[in-house]
Amino acid sequence: MPSDKTQIAIYSLSFFFIAYMLVSLFYLYVAVEESFNQVVAALFDTEVLGALTISVASAFLVGGLAVAIGVPVAYFMAFKEFRGKETVEMLLIDMPQTFPPVTEGLVYLLMLGRFGLAYTFAAVVIAKFYVSAPFTLSFLTRRFRELKGDGYDVIARSLGARTKHVLNWVMIPLSARDLLGGFSLTWARAMGELAATLAFAGAIPWRTEIIPTLVFLTSRNAPAIAMAASVIAETLSLVALFSFRLIARERKWLT
Amino acid sequence: MAYLKVEGLAKRYGDTKIIDSLTLSVNPQETMVVMGPSGCGKTTLLLMILGAIKADQGEITINNRVVNNLPIEEREIGYVPQDFGLFPHLTVSENIGFGLRVRTYPEAEKNRIIHALLETVDLKDMGERKPRQLSGGQKQRVALARALAVNPSLLLLDEPLSSVDEATKEHVRRGLKDTLTQTKVTTVCVVHDPEDAFMLGDRIAVMHNGRIIQCDTPKQLLDAPNDSVVRKLIASMYVLGRDS
Repeated sequence: MPSDKTQIAIYSLSFFFIAYMLVSLFYLYVAVEESFNQVVAALFDTEVLGALTISVASAFLVGGLAVAIGVPVAYFMAFKEFRGKETVEMLLIDMPQTFPPVTEGLVYLLMLGRFGLAYTFAAVVIAKFYVSAPFTLSFLTRRFRELKGDGYDVIARSLGARTKHVLNWVMIPLSARDLLGGFSLTWARAMGELAATLAFAGAIPWRTEIIPTLVFLTSRNAPAIAMAASVIAETLSLVALFSFRLIARERKWLT
Repeated sequence: MAYLKVEGLAKRYGDTKIIDSLTLSVNPQETMVVMGPSGCGKTTLLLMILGAIKADQGEITINNRVVNNLPIEEREIGYVPQDFGLFPHLTVSENIGFGLRVRTYPEAEKNRIIHALLETVDLKDMGERKPRQLSGGQKQRVALARALAVNPSLLLLDEPLSSVDEATKEHVRRGLKDTLTQTKVTTVCVVHDPEDAFMLGDRIAVMHNGRIIQCDTPKQLLDAPNDSVVRKLIASMYVLGRDS
């Protein structure tokens, strides 16, 4: 075997990094094993069920809204040329992913709190939407630009198509995978969002308390509940991401 | 009276003139081939007639109507792009019927037109296939049928033979010529290959640096090329010993 030291160093570092990331991901399941019975009991705790219901319902709502709003906005961003477009795109797509979520929660508290929206289910959705919707918008904008580059909109219009036909018969069907990808990442991000939701919606059981806030609030005093909630959250996000990968690989979806 | 008139058309990107005071007239039912080397502005001209690129200057008239400010969907122009642009998620029949669906044709009428066109372009049994299952020549014929389905007032073809393999090119070219003769639709066809130009065109407009430098019948072009650029472009036709 040749003694290529650089290659050995690269392989070793990569191996340790991958192992570290996998352990970080799956250690929770190992930890659960030690207090298995308590965690299983906590899975049926009413507060855990409440947080799960609010989390899943709000994440689906956020995913649906992201698609419903993302399609027209992505069309606008892909097709309309205007001054400062790059900056607007950065503020719409990149900024929400780097902006401190807790600060965003505070902004919403100050901006929308006066309308009675703070500490409501709507507040959960609004807070999660800001942080998670950019995934869908980003996927769709990129795909619509590709399709525009291929000239599909011009061809459709030469056949008499109006914007509604271009969107419904060409752009959306040809973006099915991206739509699904954007939705699943938005959903997963919405499931994991904590800080913005906590700041703007609080943690009222069966109303605004979600899995991440429950984990945050119980990790010190009721670790079994925190672990049960974490297992649910992690399993759901793993399932969501693997489903997306599987469907995305199934090329029949596209053509 | 010309059916399509392009007068004083100009387009520049930054400091580069792509189309430079271009003038062109196409008669009713005529196939006008615009020929020129890559990058001479042929496709830009086509896209300006189509309405996908706005002209900086000049006027485009189709059937006595100035169309400069009309959106693409109101120009009633059939367009076949270089890569044919078939919608990959639709079958051949659905591709051909796209424009009819937009115009909400009744199902029976739509199917009748699709069947007739499938016969015209010799693809009778391929209606249910997806574009990825077709050869280059077959895709070209589907794209042509799709453009013709809505009975356009003008047909624009962008390098219709460039994605067709050499083995079947002659056959596809003849098929295209026959379809154009049969349907009698006024056509502007952009090509770079002189052999395609001489086979397809009733007249040939030679384009160079964003201008038309000669526009004549294939025979006139061979007999009296008025410019060394024209002579060079059609040199292969003398070698082949072809005329119109």
